[in-house]
Amino acid sequence: MIQISNISKSYGDKKALDEFSLTIKEGSVFGLLGVNGAGKTTLLSILNNLINIDSGDIKIFGLDIKTQQREINSISSIIPQHLAFYENLSVGENLDFFAKIQNAKKEDFEKALEINSLGNLLKQKASSLSGGQKRRLNIAIGLLNNPKIIYFDEPTVGIDPKSRNEILDSIKSYKSLGITVVYTSHYMNEIEKICDEVAIIDNGKLIEQNSLKNLLSSDAVTSLEQHFLKITGECDA
Amino acid sequence: MLSAMIKKEFLLVLRDKHALLALFVLPAVFILIMSVAMRDQFSTKAIEFSIFVKDKDKSEMSQDLLEKLEKNEHFSITQEADAQFSIIIPKRYSKGMNKKLKVAVKDSIKSDQIEIFKAMMAKDILSVRFNEMSKEVKEYSLKASRTIKNMDTSADKLYAIKYNGSKTIPNSTQQSVPAWIVFGMFFIIIPMSTIYVNERKQNTLTRLSSMNISILSMTLSKSIPYMLINQVQVWIMLAVGMFLVPFFDTPALEINGSIGAIFAISFGLSISAIGVSSLIAVSASSSEQATTIGGISNILLGAIGGVMVPKFIMPESMQTLANFSPMSWGLDGFLDIFLKSADVSMILSDMIALLLFGLSALILSMIILHLRIKKGL
Repeated sequence: MIQISNISKSYGDKKALDEFSLTIKEGSVFGLLGVNGAGKTTLLSILNNLINIDSGDIKIFGLDIKTQQREINSISSIIPQHLAFYENLSVGENLDFFAKIQNAKKEDFEKALEINSLGNLLKQKASSLSGGQKRRLNIAIGLLNNPKIIYFDEPTVGIDPKSRNEILDSIKSYKSLGITVVYTSHYMNEIEKICDEVAIIDNGKLIEQNSLKNLLSSDAVTSLEQHFLKITGECDA
Repeated sequence: MLSAMIKKEFLLVLRDKHALLALFVLPAVFILIMSVAMRDQFSTKAIEFSIFVKDKDKSEMSQDLLEKLEKNEHFSITQEADAQFSIIIPKRYSKGMNKKLKVAVKDSIKSDQIEIFKAMMAKDILSVRFNEMSKEVKEYSLKASRTIKNMDTSADKLYAIKYNGSKTIPNSTQQSVPAWIVFGMFFIIIPMSTIYVNERKQNTLTRLSSMNISILSMTLSKSIPYMLINQVQVWIMLAVGMFLVPFFDTPALEINGSIGAIFAISFGLSISAIGVSSLIAVSASSSEQATTIGGISNILLGAIGGVMVPKFIMPESMQTLANFSPMSWGLDGFLDIFLKSADVSMILSDMIALLLFGLSALILSMIILHLRIKKGL
């Protein structure tokens, strides 16, 4: 379980997160929604120990983020929006590099390859992959340490619908492996397709947290997008 | 973990054809071109003056002088009136020590050339005078006559220039090889900063950071491959100077100092170059910016540090300025090794200066990178 209690984070005068609290259940696929600048990326950066909080507490699977950063990093993984690998290396060389620096096990290496269907692309240079294949490689790297939690930061930006569906299907399958998924996206239909629970953030505050089923049954809305627009009054998600 | 990161860095550099060109081919070409181009500037054998001689004395002594001038490798006797120097041996020249040759100098001859001419003439004139003196004292003392006759006024016989035990005089190759080695080593700025900036921009560094890879490990994994690349550069450039340059009728590089000193000074230079590269890489906002800043700073450091123009021909104020360039410290170290037979102890101060400069730049770059990661790069 991820327990976020009253955290705040400011950049100068601007409050990115303000007394923010959230609970994410173990094994769930959790959607994080918010307009640009709402605080989603700051939250993901905090959960991945890339930036420190000003105040508040976070416990991830019982580990304190202030004192057990290395332990938390070893059980979690972030899939960044940018393609964070080496274009001049082959698929195999990229996976081999990221596996070795994390002391990944061979079976985890094989599992990452299989889930992302990269087995026949090992010798191909990363720069020559299609957009969807690059996204899959980006995700496979995040699976190498056999994480208990994976944070996806808009992983389907700029790819074709077929590749997007393949990626979403693979993310749904993580649930059966017991992996907790935290997913941010601008595409509401993606959240609807894969998430069990959703949190909506606005101006660094939690506006709403509920199961997808409850959100869609409330206010007589037919889609998550309608609900989001209604409670935030924004057009851009 | 570190070995995987080092391997990755090697693969990235070795697959960058432009980087390989800048690191290995460009400095080697520079060495070749500059050694050949400056060959005549650094060779005393190449100095030759055309002289026209009119002998009005027609004595045994004036004939002796003419023979000496003809045999002098730096003079070519011509009958043409537009010779650089026109010498008249006056009547009764042989009759008194106070008689002088009359020399007319062509307008285009520079004052430093006149000084060289005067020194060369003096040697031949003194030789002829000593011969005459030898003949005159012969009837009084055979021993004194022989001693005077054997007096040799050539510079080699009068004094020996020693550079801490070595008799080696610098040639064009010994001047240009160290200069372009130093410049070439700093070329790592281009590939190192480009790869670094790309990693930063693509969030790969953030990803590594989230994988418990410390900034120290990141810095070390980048520094070690480039230190090895720098060493390979040094020995390739030395080989070019020793074995390739002679094919172009240019003196081969002679290394008089210790091999340990070469390793030591190139290690110091490597740390400096890596420090500057890291600093540029973490400060630049794009790879284009890093390449431009890296290229410009490399050229500036080289120009100030005596790579493009040797320090000894710079005005004093520029020589003082040169002491602020790490390239100058490295160049001084290499020149001491090649020309003064320096060992490690003699280049220690240059090496320590380079290490301190490089480590300071590296520490500063690590602090900047830490702050940038915390700010989301």
